[in-house]
Amino acid sequence: MFQNKITIRIVGFVASLLLTFAAYFVIISPEFLNIQNKTAVYYIITLAIIQSIVQLLCFIDIWGEKGPPWNLGVFVSTISIILIIIIFSIWIMNHLNYNMMP
Amino acid sequence: MTDLVIFAVLFATYIVLRDSTFGGPSGKDLFDMSIPLAETCILLVSSFTCAIAMLFIHQKQKKSATLWFIATILLGMAFLTLEIIEFAEFTAMGAGPSRSAFLSAFFTLVGTHGTHIFVGLLWMVVALFRIWRRPLSSHSISRIFRMALFWHFLDFVWIFIFTVVYGMGNLL
Repeated sequence: MFQNKITIRIVGFVASLLLTFAAYFVIISPEFLNIQNKTAVYYIITLAIIQSIVQLLCFIDIWGEKGPPWNLGVFVSTISIILIIIIFSIWIMNHLNYNMMP
Repeated sequence: MTDLVIFAVLFATYIVLRDSTFGGPSGKDLFDMSIPLAETCILLVSSFTCAIAMLFIHQKQKKSATLWFIATILLGMAFLTLEIIEFAEFTAMGAGPSRSAFLSAFFTLVGTHGTHIFVGLLWMVVALFRIWRRPLSSHSISRIFRMALFWHFLDFVWIFIFTVVYGMGNLL
């Protein structure tokens, strides 16, 4: 069990490092991959999301602890609040700019 | 988890104010990718050492756990030092938090993360004393577990700072 968990941590660590360097590479030379800067942004956001999932599974170990069943509910509702705040602020502010145009 | 909501609000603010540079330097002019890359790697390693330390805590091996926690603390201090150097550089270039809305949002978001790191370090020192002074009951293990969880979430937030602030700042 102990060996198993250490292996999981090492795998997660190496995967996160690789994902970070991949993102760094995309950021410094999008020309090399022959993509637009705008597309590159989607690439790095995807990489960040993959990395956060890797970290949730490997370091934070969300399935590892046997907690009460509402733990998952708390997690899911926090994620939804965060998404609502971020996505809708961007949406509202962009449309505000548009609507305020003379 | 409530801290994540604070960061979400700050992220939203930052994204909205990204282009409000008020004639000052934009992200593209300021951000040099090597410091954030180093900071990311340091935080990743520290998250890893913290996870390993936690495994030793579950095994009740105080000595190894302490060593790994001390490594985590040192890495956290290295991270804070780099961040302070970066902030000092920006301020010296005349790009302090009072320069533009973009920079205020930047310093608030990244500074809040830095403050959290500092608090996490204090918490870790306190936990270390606790590990040595008290027996590792399931009660104290659960307390240390929460400290480790806090640390992992800081790393989690930093991935998005790296991507949204530095990555998008360089690309757009």
